[in-house]
Amino acid sequence: MTDVNTENKLEAMQRANGPLLEVKDLQVDFTTDEGHAVHAVRNSSFSVYPGQWVAIVGESGSGKSTSAMAVLGLLPGTGHVVGGSIKLDGQEISGLKQKDYDKLRGSKMGLVPQDPMSNLNPVWRIGSQVKEALVANNMDIDHEKRSEFAKALAGEGMELKGDDDETFLGSKELPELLATARQALVNIGKTGEDLDKTMAYFTEEWVPGSETRWRVADDLIKAGVADDDAWYLAKKYVIGSTMDDRIAGLLSEAGLPDAATRARQFPHEFSGGMRQRALIAIGLACRPELLIADEPTSALDVTVQKKILDHLHMLTDSLGTAVLFITHDLGLAAERAQHIVVMYKGQVVESGPSLEVLQHPQHPYTKRLVAAAPSLASQRIISVKEHGGDAKAVMEHTVNESSLENGEAIITVDHLTREFKLPRRKEMFKAVDDVSFSIKKGTTLAIVGESGSGKSTVANMVLKLLEPTSGTVTYAGKDISAFKGKELLDFRRHVQPVFQNPYGSLDPMYSIYRSIEEPLRIHGIGDKNSRTARVRELLDMVELPESVMSRYPNELSGGQRQRIAIARAMALDPDVIVCDEAVSALDVLVQDQVLRLLNDLQAEKGLSYLFITHDLAVVRQIADEVVVMQHGKLVEHATTDEVFDHPQMQYTRDLLDAIPGGKLQLGLD
Amino acid sequence: MTDMNETNLSTALPGQERYVAPLEETPLKAVDSIDESAPASSMWSDAWRTLRRNPLFIISGLLIIFIIFVALFPGVLTKQNPNYCNLDNSLDPSSAGHPFGFDLQGCDVYARVVYGTRTSLSVGVFATLLVVLLGTLIGAVAGFFGGWVDAVLSRLTDIFLALPILLGAIVVLQMFKTSDSIWKIILVMALFGWTSVARIARGAVLEAKNLEFNTASTALGSTPGRNLFRHILPNSLAPIIVVGTTSLATYIVLEATLSFLGVGLPTTTVSWGGDISHAQSILRTNPMVLFYPSAALAITVLAFIMMGDAVKDALDPKSRTA
Repeated sequence: MTDVNTENKLEAMQRANGPLLEVKDLQVDFTTDEGHAVHAVRNSSFSVYPGQWVAIVGESGSGKSTSAMAVLGLLPGTGHVVGGSIKLDGQEISGLKQKDYDKLRGSKMGLVPQDPMSNLNPVWRIGSQVKEALVANNMDIDHEKRSEFAKALAGEGMELKGDDDETFLGSKELPELLATARQALVNIGKTGEDLDKTMAYFTEEWVPGSETRWRVADDLIKAGVADDDAWYLAKKYVIGSTMDDRIAGLLSEAGLPDAATRARQFPHEFSGGMRQRALIAIGLACRPELLIADEPTSALDVTVQKKILDHLHMLTDSLGTAVLFITHDLGLAAERAQHIVVMYKGQVVESGPSLEVLQHPQHPYTKRLVAAAPSLASQRIISVKEHGGDAKAVMEHTVNESSLENGEAIITVDHLTREFKLPRRKEMFKAVDDVSFSIKKGTTLAIVGESGSGKSTVANMVLKLLEPTSGTVTYAGKDISAFKGKELLDFRRHVQPVFQNPYGSLDPMYSIYRSIEEPLRIHGIGDKNSRTARVRELLDMVELPESVMSRYPNELSGGQRQRIAIARAMALDPDVIVCDEAVSALDVLVQDQVLRLLNDLQAEKGLSYLFITHDLAVVRQIADEVVVMQHGKLVEHATTDEVFDHPQMQYTRDLLDAIPGGKLQLGLD
Repeated sequence: MTDMNETNLSTALPGQERYVAPLEETPLKAVDSIDESAPASSMWSDAWRTLRRNPLFIISGLLIIFIIFVALFPGVLTKQNPNYCNLDNSLDPSSAGHPFGFDLQGCDVYARVVYGTRTSLSVGVFATLLVVLLGTLIGAVAGFFGGWVDAVLSRLTDIFLALPILLGAIVVLQMFKTSDSIWKIILVMALFGWTSVARIARGAVLEAKNLEFNTASTALGSTPGRNLFRHILPNSLAPIIVVGTTSLATYIVLEATLSFLGVGLPTTTVSWGGDISHAQSILRTNPMVLFYPSAALAITVLAFIMMGDAVKDALDPKSRTA
């Protein structure tokens, strides 16, 4: 936390200035093809103060993004604001014409969009896209533009003599500045390691197009140079930057290393995290007072998410930018924002200081959300059925402990390696590198890793959808690579998959009945009547009404489809189910529901699960054993409690640290 | 942490005090509950519902039903024999029982327009059917097997695509000038026309092949062949049907063009193209002789193109302009 003085000063200023953004009774309607109005947002009020992070939390379809887009005047298609007011800096903006909005966007309000993959133009260099933002808003590239608010906060203790003190350093003058700065340091008697250290610090800090004159002077003074000399040097050498400098400066502020070179690259040369940094640079290029970040990191790995948000927090703090942060992750919201707004079905159901809302949720929906959030949960889901309805009495998940030690392995993976040929490369790419583990009967083993860690490749090899380059997978003591014909069919019957994408894994042309019946039909089980009876039974098992039989996948929600996929997997009474990111695409409440279903089924039927996920938080709820993978290699393998309480490897610790909200203390009542 | 918590409690900024919505305003629903009241909808029934409401579909549908009726039962609309020509009647204007008058040979123009429908329609329908069958087969095989099979078939497609269909048809039809059958023209159209369908079928199959439900099906124990027929092909049909419906009109025009050029159907077969060709020489003096078969051709083509558009909108809602 920042020190108490700054904290108080900030708050005093916020009180004095009033809210930067004030949304009152906002109502947004969408018109459907048939002409009906759908109320996407109803009677929603929230406000953002200067320099504050406010989070809007909700499931998909709760109206959180729509509210943000209404503020920006960027409602898609048939959406429009039909009621309420949106005030920016006290000025009503909800009824503005697009032309007037253009003046606000960029310079007053910035946006960091959700999907870094599709929000950068693939045919433009990154630098040009930053430049576009600067040029469109007619930005002065020589001087930093900061709000009075930010100046007052950041300039504390420095007297700013005028606008010229905010002039940027240019790359042309940098070498000379560094040389004379070194001379000045030598003159005041700095030598050896001390001198090198200070110069290294200067080289790192003085980024052309980002470092301002007063900061250079400040750095020199702090290093011991006399005030007058420092200001003399700063005034002589910090005389403004070029467009390229400013672009590189912005990108480097957003945390992109080697920004000048990177600015000349195209989006496809960037990783997801780097693209998101470029989008942050664009969003902040014109120094907006309000930055709207719409799920800025939901497409990224958790460790990258943490780095990017840490950086964004630091940056907006130093610029005095307020952030309206849209997220589906309650833990993330509580960790990052001071104020939380919870939305449900287009309405604000609860809002308040984040910790308070989290620790004492009052609206039943918020309570439900807090209870389901995997990042906040601290132990494995215990099947209610398993313990005769009295889950609370059993704090430890003891049943599987013994089977973990003495149980018989149903799937054993031994020194599994899979190589892929990369286009235009000679050497092979090892997607999976010497991985061994075994799944004991009736337990759940989770494989955790970030994208590209090879975890799905392992799943596909266990399912025999992909042949290993070397190593073996054994099922019930038999090597699966030898399976053919009847034996393979038998193996397929016992090892079933549930895939990640609930929209892709069901054939859209098949009714739900046909989808669930398909495995029975393939394996030639039963006649028409007995199959129908079985489908009914399966639907009942996943708690869906019989009436869905005649429906088609497009009519069901993601969670319902995933339950259908589970019903289909259960149709043949398998021993092992491989869940490849089976709950990743679902909202937390639905995710929680599906996890509980999987858990109940395990308790009831003694199933074994191989659970592939990128989300360590989910692992804690479902797994007995964890395998952590990184770059195709097995990094750590232990019981879930071991991994969470005593992680052995640095990588595992990083993953645990990156769980949003993982460290928040919850006193749930 | 606790410190900040307390300060927050005491000093929430104006407008940011703790707020809890009254429950009656936002009743909670069961998580992920299902709407059991809505009617079930498959892709086809959805498409049908969209079509039914499209005026384009209704107009073109009625027209096409009429055209098919005329093609099947030309005798209902005219009692005249289109091949009974009396030079005495040459270029006579319309009269009772002969609403469109007579052409240079003294044949009844109305009767010839009515009887020409069957030729045009059967050429269009059969050529389209053949083209779709051949194109889907080649495209699906290429897309499904990939590798060298795809390479060979795709190059073959490219080669045929490079041949102008009109030129190819003229060359081939010259060789079979003596045959009277309309099948020669249908076969020639299929020979040169399958490429566009093949390309689309290949793309659709490639796309459907990579969808997750195929992997899911394989993991359930299904074989590749079963996947192709049960999952991939049904999911690739929509774009193929769209191309088929739209290209039907093209083949009707092509038949008329070839007959006009004299390489199409034999002069003994009544066809709009042939009649347009014959009327060309007297266009200046008796334009109406040319007008009637041309109008029939235009209306038929328009009907099928409108139908194609409507089907496209229904099966591929993404292509609809907002």
